[in-house]
Parts: sequence; structure tokens; C-alpha cells
Amino acid sequence: MKERALTIVSIIAALALFVGAPQIVNAYWLGVALQLLSGIALTQSWVAFSGLTGYVSLGHAVFYGAGAYVMALLWQSAALWEILVASGFTAAALALLIGYPALRVRGPYFVILTLGLSELCKYVVIAIEAALESSGRLLFDTPDPVFLYYIMLLLAVLATLLTWGLARSRWGAGLRAIREDETAASTVGVPVTFLKIMAFVLSAFIPGVVGAVWVLRTTFFEPMQLFSPTTSFTIVTMAVIGGSDGAPGPIFGAAFIVILSELLWARAPQFYLVLLGILLISFVLFIPRGIYGQLTALAQRRRA
Amino acid sequence: MSFLRVENLTCRFGGIVALQDISFSMEKGEILGLMGANGAGKTTLLSLIAGNVAPSAGHILLEGERIDGRSPHRVNGLGVARTFQIVRPFAGMTVLGNVMIGALYGRGRTMSLRHARTQCLEILDEVGLADRRDLPAAALTLAGRKRLEVARALATQPRLLLLDEVLAGLNASEANDALDLIRRLRETRMLSIIIIEHVMKALMRLSHRILVLHDGKKIMDGEPAEVASDPRVIAAYLGEHAHV
Amino acid sequence: MDQIASTQLLLSALILASIYALVALGLNLIYGTMRLLNVAHGDLMMLGGYFSYWVFQLVGIGPLWSMFGAVLLTAILGAACYLSIVRYVIGNRELAARLEANSLLIFFGFAIIIQNGLSMAFTSDPRSYGYLNSILAVGDARVELNRLAVLGLGTVASAGCVLFFQFSRFGLATRALIQQRDAASLVGINADRIQLLVFCVGFGMAGLAGSLVSMTETVTPFGGFPYTISAFVVIILGGLGNLGGGILGAVLLAIIEIYGVALTSAAYRSILLYGVFITVLLIRPQGLLGRSAR
Repeated sequence: MKERALTIVSIIAALALFVGAPQIVNAYWLGVALQLLSGIALTQSWVAFSGLTGYVSLGHAVFYGAGAYVMALLWQSAALWEILVASGFTAAALALLIGYPALRVRGPYFVILTLGLSELCKYVVIAIEAALESSGRLLFDTPDPVFLYYIMLLLAVLATLLTWGLARSRWGAGLRAIREDETAASTVGVPVTFLKIMAFVLSAFIPGVVGAVWVLRTTFFEPMQLFSPTTSFTIVTMAVIGGSDGAPGPIFGAAFIVILSELLWARAPQFYLVLLGILLISFVLFIPRGIYGQLTALAQRRRA
Repeated sequence: MSFLRVENLTCRFGGIVALQDISFSMEKGEILGLMGANGAGKTTLLSLIAGNVAPSAGHILLEGERIDGRSPHRVNGLGVARTFQIVRPFAGMTVLGNVMIGALYGRGRTMSLRHARTQCLEILDEVGLADRRDLPAAALTLAGRKRLEVARALATQPRLLLLDEVLAGLNASEANDALDLIRRLRETRMLSIIIIEHVMKALMRLSHRILVLHDGKKIMDGEPAEVASDPRVIAAYLGEHAHV
Repeated sequence: MDQIASTQLLLSALILASIYALVALGLNLIYGTMRLLNVAHGDLMMLGGYFSYWVFQLVGIGPLWSMFGAVLLTAILGAACYLSIVRYVIGNRELAARLEANSLLIFFGFAIIIQNGLSMAFTSDPRSYGYLNSILAVGDARVELNRLAVLGLGTVASAGCVLFFQFSRFGLATRALIQQRDAASLVGINADRIQLLVFCVGFGMAGLAGSLVSMTETVTPFGGFPYTISAFVVIILGGLGNLGGGILGAVLLAIIEIYGVALTSAAYRSILLYGVFITVLLIRPQGLLGRSAR
């Protein structure tokens, strides 16, 4: 009971800190906080699908990019909220379109398929932009960064609630059963195809909105950058490092990576990515449950 | 109308005919034993009934309703549950977690986790795994995992239970306990059961009727005494068995 | 339409096919024997390419010699990777239970490390050099000598590799492993040693391909991924684990790509490649020549 109270208090404290942050910190650190929140939102979404089902998606950048593209196309021709919702639904629709055929293939096929699909979408968008004779889109009169920050905070909270709720629900139990043994799961009545597609679609919505917010923040849409595989890679690494079996993991993972990127990205971006690669491999090999999983295991051992 | 009717069932994998033109039927509450040498097609028959494999030809009817060609989870929803010969627990979950999947998604489709938990605790009690409910499934012994297979299948609230060599690898007293369990389950839950078993004595004692397969074909079905004395069975099955 | 029927295009397709065959062989070997999908395969190729580039720039020795060095370098990497990581993953019960996902994450990490390591060491500028670039006339087509060298060496190396696995003792054991893992260990095949060698050969083939390609194409730190995808398409077309089928797959993909681009525009090259990849994976994941999956 004491532990539970502690968790609740720290969640409230963290939330209060994030809500108050724009009043406390300068623009630079607000930018870092924004990174952290978007990292949490993206990784939570990834965990809701890949973490629970074990179907590793290396293509979540595609949803992020699609959302950003919708924003870049519609900005100033509709209300902000409408475009944000449209971005999310576009990403979700894309997931439905991709997911229905893609989720019939398993294991390595699925993984490389997601990677290939996201590259395909990138080049399709580039080709469309080239045909429209647009070389990058500049967005004018974008909202105040503090306002965008609050939207991102909302998204991070929503994504966390989504993963938290899913992981504890009947659906989450079914998804985990799929991860453990898909054939056995379907034999005891789990509608595997339906559950997988549903989780995939759910996990695409928030990245779509995050992408849309992000392009408002950078005010520039460039497909090479917004559909970059590095985004997918960072999401996966955050999840693996933090722990991918529930909502607490991504928070740890995103915090870890954002701090690391703060220390290194500006000075040595390539070294940062090399280090990220090394971290990903090391965690898979030695701490497969991630920081959070390891902490819980340690706590349990101490209690026992 | 029979409880389960199998009509002219055939199953091919590529060029290999695993089952050919199998027909039989069984009544509610019956225990039907499946007998045959390795590779005779016993497990394939269970896979076809449970929907894991689609038949190449023929029909399967459960209380008059066709279930062949449906996906496994739909067949399960209609009340058919199976165990796997090579056990397939959800290794990373606890014992209770494994069984709860059955309760949450099977024919019962219990929507509340708490409700499913209570049901599953009863089932675990019944199969004798209650004391190990919080262990990871991977930590169970083989005997324990076989029980877990049965418990998970039971949690789906089946009407027809397909048991694939649940006694294999158990010692004599464990096997006896398991036989008692199967009989008890049939009575308390009004189950119909199809069982594959290599231990002949157990199969003879347990089954009301026995169906003999050989090289994917049905040789005969009948009461245990009939089957045991049938020359074709002795030639095909016991004769071959003696060579093994 | 004259252009479509020209020797020039046919030659281009053959040259591309020889590269694809070589790249795909290495990927196919490792995937076939161990069910590990090396998504860093194309990046290993770039490593071989950089090796030949620098040997040429620094000491003036051409890729016809430095390719041996490139093979050695990548083969050693393969051995290191197998001995230090793969063996550990296979031996660890918890990790091996989700071998496919885990190995993919590991190779994904590798890819990122190689790409950014190369970029750190040599900047992200595209690199190329002129070697054997006199132009020859073949029929009515004109082609650089180095492209013919790629065609010749690529064909010889691919064919040699396929024949080796078809007829040598080691090759026989490997194919036994590809077909039936459990049974192979029963008849006394030393899986561990074969897997080590498969890693060396598989990685080495990537290095060789990279070294050859560096003669005709630019090398960049991030240029490997499209080759990984091409190689994957090729082995799916040819059937996973089917080495001979892979060569046919390579010819098929090269023809689709070269003629597809000739009929549309070079701008659609990536779309074409990924499009073929996705279509093949979704419609016929067991491959055109593969047996139908059970």
C-alpha cells in the first residue's frame, strides 16, 4: 500500500512539474521537455502494439511522418484541432490499410515489411512533392511553443493512459498471449487477427498527432527528415531500454535517451547514434526487460 | 442428431495425404479414444476439428452446425477446446495468467478480469495446480504443464474437449490421477471428449468407444473390447507397434 | 521502344543481377541456416566499399586486389559477431525464446552503428574513384570496363559459392542444416562450427559485393539499406534458403528494376524497388520458386 501511495504521489508531482514547466524554465529547456514528452508519447504508442504483441515494428516513423504531412498540407486551411484530429485519423487509417495485409506475415517478415513500407511511403511522398514542384513546405503563423508544449503534454498523458489501460485489460491479456504463442492463443479463443490490427491502429493514432505537432514546432516539412528511419530507431531503442511490457517502461526509456541526446546530440550526432546502437544491443543481450523491468525484478528479490 | 459428425474428411499437405475420407460421429457425453501408430493422422484429426488446419475435403458438424474451415478462435467459441501434444504454454505468463486467457476469450468470454480470476482459481484447484498459480508457466514440470494445457482448455468452457496425449511422460501415479481427473471432468461438466493416448490400457479403460486410424485411413471404430480383438487392428496397429 | 530492346539495357540488367545475386547469397546463407535476418547486410557491403575506396586512394591498389582484404575484414567481423553475440543469444533460454525479434533488434543496432561509425570516420560525403573506366563497345552498347569486371567477378563468385554449397562436404552439411535443424544435429553435424563458417562466408560475401560495387557506384555511409532490401526481395523471389533460386531471383529483380526505370523515370527507382518488395512479401512470402508454406 505504501508503494502504491508513493507511485501516485510521484505521478502527481511529475505532472505538476510538467504543467508548471513553462513558467519555470527558459525556452531551451522547454524544448528539451518537449522532446521528452514526444518521446514518451511515441514510445508508449509503440509499446501498446509491439511491446505487447511481440510484433516488432521498425516503421513507426511512417505514422509520425504521415501526421506531419497532413498538417503541412492543411495548415491554415482548417482549424488547428481539426487538423490534429485529421492527422491522427490519417495515421490510423494508414495503419489499417497496412496492417490488414501485413499482419498476416509473422516474425522477421513483418519486421522488415514495416521497415520497407515506411521507406516506400517516404519515397512516395517525395515523388508527390516533386510532382507538385514543392521542395519542402514552410509553415507560417504557427502557434506559440508553450501552447504546442501543452498539446504534447496532453498527448504524452493520453498515450501513457492508453498503454497503461491496455496492458491491464482483457485486450492486453490477449495481446500478450499472441506474443507468447499465437497458435495456442487462437486455439483458446483469442481472435488474433482482430486484436493485432486493432492494436496496430490504436498505436498509430498518437504518433500521427505527435508528427503534426512537431512540424508546427519546426515550421518546416521535409519528407526525408520526417519519415527518417532514425525516428523509428529511436522509438524502438527507448522502448527496449526502458522496458516494453507496460506503461512505466517508455517513461524511463524516453528520459534516458533524451538526457543522453542532450549531452551528445549537438556536439557529436553520429557518435550519439553509434552509442544508441550499442545501448540497444546491450540491453537486448543483458537487460532484456529494460530499466523498469530490471528495477521491479530487483525490488521483488529484495522483498523475497 | 449426433453431437459431432465428421463426414468424408480428407487432409493433404502438398502431395502427402495425412487423412483420407474419415467419417464418424459421436454422442454427447461420450469419450472417444483415438488409436493408431505414429503418423497415423491422430493429431491431424484433432487439428482439423479444432480449426488449426483446414481440411482439403469433407465436413465437420457440431450439433448440426458446420465448423470446418473456420478459424480456431471461432471453433473454440462454439465450444471445442484442445490441448497440444507438445505442450504450448504461454511461457512468459504465470500459471493463472495462462488459464485466464482461456476464460477471457473462450466460449465463456468473461469480460471482467476479476470474474475470470475467480473462475480460473476454481479450475486450478480442480486440476491440482492451485498452489503453483503464481509461478511462471515455464517453471512447471512436464506433468504440471500437461495439467496446465487441460486447465487452459477447460477455462474456455468447452462442450467438446480434445486431449492429445495428456498422459505421455507422466509416471504411473500421475497418470492415474490424470485419468481420474478426466473422468471427473466429464461427469461434472457434461463434457464430450476425444482423447489420443499411447498407453493402451488407459485408453481401453477410459473410452466408451475407440476409433482406429492407420496411415491416414479409418480402420474401424467400436467398443474397446471389440477393437482389442479385431484382427485388422492387431495386424495394423499392434503388429507394427511390436516392431517399434 | 528501340531503347527497350537495346543491348545497353540488357547489359545493365545483367550487371545489376550479378551484384544482387552476390549480395543476396550472403543474406540467404545466414537466414537459411539460422533464421536470423541480418538487416545490416547492406551496411556491411558499404564497409567493404569504403575499404576498397581507401586502399585505392591511399596506396593505389585497385579493388581487384583489395577485394580479398574486404572479404577478410568482413569475414572477421562475421566471426566476431557470431562468437560474441549470436552464440550467446542462442544459448540463453530467455533470449532464444524470442530469437527472431531479438536478433533483428541486434542487427538493427549493428546497422546504425556501422552507418554512423562510417559517417563519423569518413563524413557522409559520397565517395567514388575512377578505376578501369575506359569505355568498350559491346555490340551496339557502350560500357565501362569496370562494369564488365563487376559482371564477370560477380557471376564467378556467385556461381562458385552456389557450386561450393552444392557439392562440398561442408556445403552438404550446411544444406542439411537449412532443411532440418534437429535432424542435422542427430546425424552428427557440428552445427556450431557450420554456423560460424556461415557467418564468415555470409559477411564476407557482403564485403566482396561492396568492394566490387565501389568501382562503379558511389559509396555512402547510409547507402546500404536499399541493398539489404534488394537482397531480401531476391531471396524471397528465389525461395528462402534456396541458393540457386536466389540467382534466378536476382536476374528477375534486376530486369524489373532496369526496365521499370527505363519505362518510367529514374526518380521512381526507390518506389519501384520498395513496391516490388512489398508486393512480393504480401502476395507470395514463400517465394516464387519456394514451396508453398504449410
